[in-house]
Amino acid sequence: MMNLTKQIREQAKKLLEEKKVDLVIGFGQGTELARTTPVFIDSPEGVSALTWGPFCANNLAKYLVDYKNAPGNVAIVVKGCDSRSVIRLLDDNQISRDKIVVIGVPCAGQLEWQKVADEVKPDATLKETVDNGDSFVVKTSTGDHTFNKKDYMLHRCLVCENPNPVIADFTIGEELPVKNYAERFAEVEELEQLGLEEKSAYWDKQFSRCLRCYACRNVCSVCTCELCVFDQMKPMWVSKRTNLSENTVFHITRAFHVAGRCVDCGECDRVCPMDIPIRKLNQKIHKDLKDLFDSPTPGSKEGLLSALGEFSLGDPEEFM
Amino acid sequence: MAKRIGLFICWCGSNIGGVVDVPRVVEETKNYPGVAFATDYKYMCSEPGQNLIISKVKEHNLDRVVVASCTPMLHEPTFRKAIARAGLNPYMFDMANIREQCSWVHSNDKEAATQKAIALVKRALAKVSQVEPLFESSIPITKKALVVGAGIAGIQVALDIADSGHEVILLERESTIGGNMVKLDKTFPTMDCSACISTPKMVQAAQHPNITIMTYAELVDVQGYIGNFEITIKQKARYVDHTICTGCGLCTEKCPTKVLSSFELGMGKRKAIYIEFPQAVPNKPVIDPDNCRYLKNGKCGICKKLCPVGAVDFEQKDELIEEKVGAIVIATGYDLIKWEEIYGEYGYGRFKDVITGLQFERLVNASGPTNGLIQRPSDGKEPKTVVFIKCVGSRDEAKAKEYCSRACCMYTAKHAHQVIEKIEGGHAYIFYMDVRTPGKAYDEFYRRTVDEGAQYIRGRVSKIYQSGDKLVVMGADTLLGSAVHIEADLVVLATAMVPTEGSEKIAQLAGVNIDKDGFFIEAHPKLRPVETMTGGVFLAGACQGPKDIPDTVSQASGAAAKVAALLSNEEMATDPMICHIDEKMCSGCLVCKEVCPYKAISEKTITERIAGQPVERMVASVNTGLCQGCGNCTVACRAGAANLKGYTNLQLLSEVDALCR
Ligand SMILES: Cc1cc2nc3c(=O)[nH]c(=O)nc-3n(C[C@H](O)[C@H](O)[C@H](O)COP(=O)(O)OP(=O)(O)OC[C@H]3O[C@@H](n4cnc5c(N)ncnc54)[C@H](O)[C@@H]3O)c2cc1C
Ligand code: SF4
Ligand code: SF4
Ligand code: SF4
Ligand code: SF4
Ligand code: SF4
Repeated sequence: MMNLTKQIREQAKKLLEEKKVDLVIGFGQGTELARTTPVFIDSPEGVSALTWGPFCANNLAKYLVDYKNAPGNVAIVVKGCDSRSVIRLLDDNQISRDKIVVIGVPCAGQLEWQKVADEVKPDATLKETVDNGDSFVVKTSTGDHTFNKKDYMLHRCLVCENPNPVIADFTIGEELPVKNYAERFAEVEELEQLGLEEKSAYWDKQFSRCLRCYACRNVCSVCTCELCVFDQMKPMWVSKRTNLSENTVFHITRAFHVAGRCVDCGECDRVCPMDIPIRKLNQKIHKDLKDLFDSPTPGSKEGLLSALGEFSLGDPEEFM
Repeated sequence: MAKRIGLFICWCGSNIGGVVDVPRVVEETKNYPGVAFATDYKYMCSEPGQNLIISKVKEHNLDRVVVASCTPMLHEPTFRKAIARAGLNPYMFDMANIREQCSWVHSNDKEAATQKAIALVKRALAKVSQVEPLFESSIPITKKALVVGAGIAGIQVALDIADSGHEVILLERESTIGGNMVKLDKTFPTMDCSACISTPKMVQAAQHPNITIMTYAELVDVQGYIGNFEITIKQKARYVDHTICTGCGLCTEKCPTKVLSSFELGMGKRKAIYIEFPQAVPNKPVIDPDNCRYLKNGKCGICKKLCPVGAVDFEQKDELIEEKVGAIVIATGYDLIKWEEIYGEYGYGRFKDVITGLQFERLVNASGPTNGLIQRPSDGKEPKTVVFIKCVGSRDEAKAKEYCSRACCMYTAKHAHQVIEKIEGGHAYIFYMDVRTPGKAYDEFYRRTVDEGAQYIRGRVSKIYQSGDKLVVMGADTLLGSAVHIEADLVVLATAMVPTEGSEKIAQLAGVNIDKDGFFIEAHPKLRPVETMTGGVFLAGACQGPKDIPDTVSQASGAAAKVAALLSNEEMATDPMICHIDEKMCSGCLVCKEVCPYKAISEKTITERIAGQPVERMVASVNTGLCQGCGNCTVACRAGAANLKGYTNLQLLSEVDALCR
């Protein structure tokens, strides 16, 4: 992984030196061993802050929107899943292709940082990470640890469809094979088995905990409205009150707003401070769209129309 | 300024008042926030009722009005006009339907009906509290119409529009106008000769100063909207310059290439340079490039050498012609179903003497391939026993179409009559499911055929096979409950009418819908049968559904009347209840553009000041002429930037809130 980090830095440096871009958005080592933080680099000297490894879970694509009006071009480091967000942002006309440079990194998977943190000494510092196929070896100042991917990776990585970025101007390192460590919709299918009452109880338990902090929306690369309905006062689509009923409307509304466009990056799930499994709502819709319309995962190709954003005269209108 | 709502609740005589407790509805709603005046009246829509509204608006300085009465379909325009006469903007109005939705459906539960009426009135009050004045604007109208398809439907439409003083382009993809009707021999129920009544109309169309006929041409693009369509027509190369050709016919006589004629449905021949039939309009030839020896391999060119005026032009190319029209009438007619691909029991088209009704028309037609002698295709012998099979492809949900093709019962009776009349010792057997003859003098016609000796057998045919020079038809007589075998000389299938090939493309170009069978969909099956959901696009003839000539012609005149009414205006008012995009809320994602069925949305660039800097960005923009107010975009727009005037998000949410309270 050190080799990849080096190549990313070199690529970033070259782009900045040649003035192809004014800014590079990438991953930098965080204060904790198992976490990274977004870094924004505007000079060739700064590239040493860039890093790469199994702790780069963040999807940085949404930051591109912040720079859409800034002068100059922006380069961004993306994983396979993040690259779907880039395509979605392009298809939603939120960024323009000629203003961005995509540095794609084939991704061997991302570890759940909490699980790693639980096993590593708190004062340990990271020396190196090594991808051994089905496991990662994390070398630290206080010893080496091996983490099986099957047990330690984020769910979205266990079912990853695109380890290799689907859009990239530069690809760092070798392309990787698609490996499935789990059934993509197994968890959704489990939920589908529940009775109506049980389902309702399950979601009530989840939604009642929501703080309405909107972190899930803010991180989402398909939530790019100028003024989100949840921030509007007139009309007041949903009351600002935090209670089960309003929270439920919030979640269902958002699920439908991202339906057919959600790229299944899993960021909403990951950033939620209350561990609400928001992605399961989206995944139910992904599953239905696959079953009913054979829709590919949004963002996996350029120019896909979203399932709820298409008008076709050939639509059978069977329900009418 | 505080809102001043006037609330007027109607008894509709005992229609509403007999069920709904009207005084109680007034009592329970008159204190709703904003209501400045509330009353009830026996007939709100009557002259005194309307005058009541007008005087109260003035007396109480009302600024908006709710009428609770019947369906807005009926009287919304009435009340809008009334409040306009009182000096208010007509859109400062809403209606609650307490008749159809209350007293009529809940006539046996007065309490529930009253409760529901109260709720619906509150809903209307909530909505009217949020309405804003709307203003109609006007767009100019191009006083010219396009008629696509020149069968009897298209010709009739063109003539009627032209007679009312407007210009018409009559577009036909074949080399002559006339459609299917000119192929027919006699027409039921009066048995007048089809050509004798249709060719004069063709000539009339050709000579009408307001009609421009464009044959051998296709519609390739439609842009714009009602009153202002911009169309592109492809004039296919004819290889004969019609501006100089005199139609002498020397070329067609001398052309050495003979091919099967599609006009004769494969039962006759024509040349590579040809005129479809003697009365064709225009009566000038075209060259069929797939078969012309010169165009294929550069040899021959006899026609060019012979033509006394030098009209043959092998260099001619397809040409694109742009036109502007205010209205479009689709009259593309029908084809017969491809039965050969479906019906194995009738031999999949392997037996030469199993033909369609339309082929039979050519066989009895004096100008047809047999000069009107009924001779069967295989050996040219006169058939003595002719079997007719009805509903081939129609009313056959399992294998073909669910619908009835409507003309077949009658034309089969006509054909049976012709067999008996024209063939000495001729027998006609007709296998049928039902005989449907609803039409003026139709049943009489059918009875006469039965009296003449046509034998109607109720049942289906299970198999036809060749035995020597006979076709053995095996069927069932379900009335007698016995099997039937008939040794026939000729079998005639009454095949289903289906939309003509290419209808789908026309639908797409004109932005109108087709049904599951591919027929064009009218705006309302009963009340708006010749209009489509797209403003300025109308329908006539069999393209909307199977029909016979009388129905086709009436519908055509109906469509023409609609077009003439539209084109008689210099300008037209546009419905103000259309989409409005709040640019500051629009993120330019253009989902709205994708879902708009009327192609009314496009992108535009605006300049905003962000942090003191001018920033250009893209937003959606609505063409107010094209938008039909369908509301698709407003649903697709997540942020609610796209809004339907008269049904805004705010108004709808207020209504929902009022109903849920
Ligand atoms: C065997 C048979 C016998 C019948 N006998 C009788 C009878 O005796 N009496 C009676 O009342 N009815 C009869 N009918 C019904 C009659 O044929 C129809 O009612 C009538 O022809 C319908 O006319 P139309 O103009 O709608 O369609 P059509 O006659 O089909 O005309 C449509 C025209 O549009 C043209 N067109 C199609 N697509 C395009 C395009 N994309 N661009 C440009 N042009 C296009 C076609 O070339 C054609 O010229 C009979 C039908 C059949 C099948
Ligand atoms: S909804 Fe969640 S999973 Fe989907 S794109 Fe947004 S952040 Fe990613
Ligand atoms: S939640 Fe809906 S309205 Fe809000 S930003 Fe996301 S898509 Fe837009
Ligand atoms: S991130 Fe979690 S807590 Fe915050 S709004 Fe989303 S679901 Fe609710
Ligand atoms: S859907 Fe809404 S936000 Fe998107 S372009 Fe249309 S109006 Fe703008
Ligand atoms: S309401 Fe919207 S979708 Fe419908 S026609 Fe108008 S712009 Fe198009």
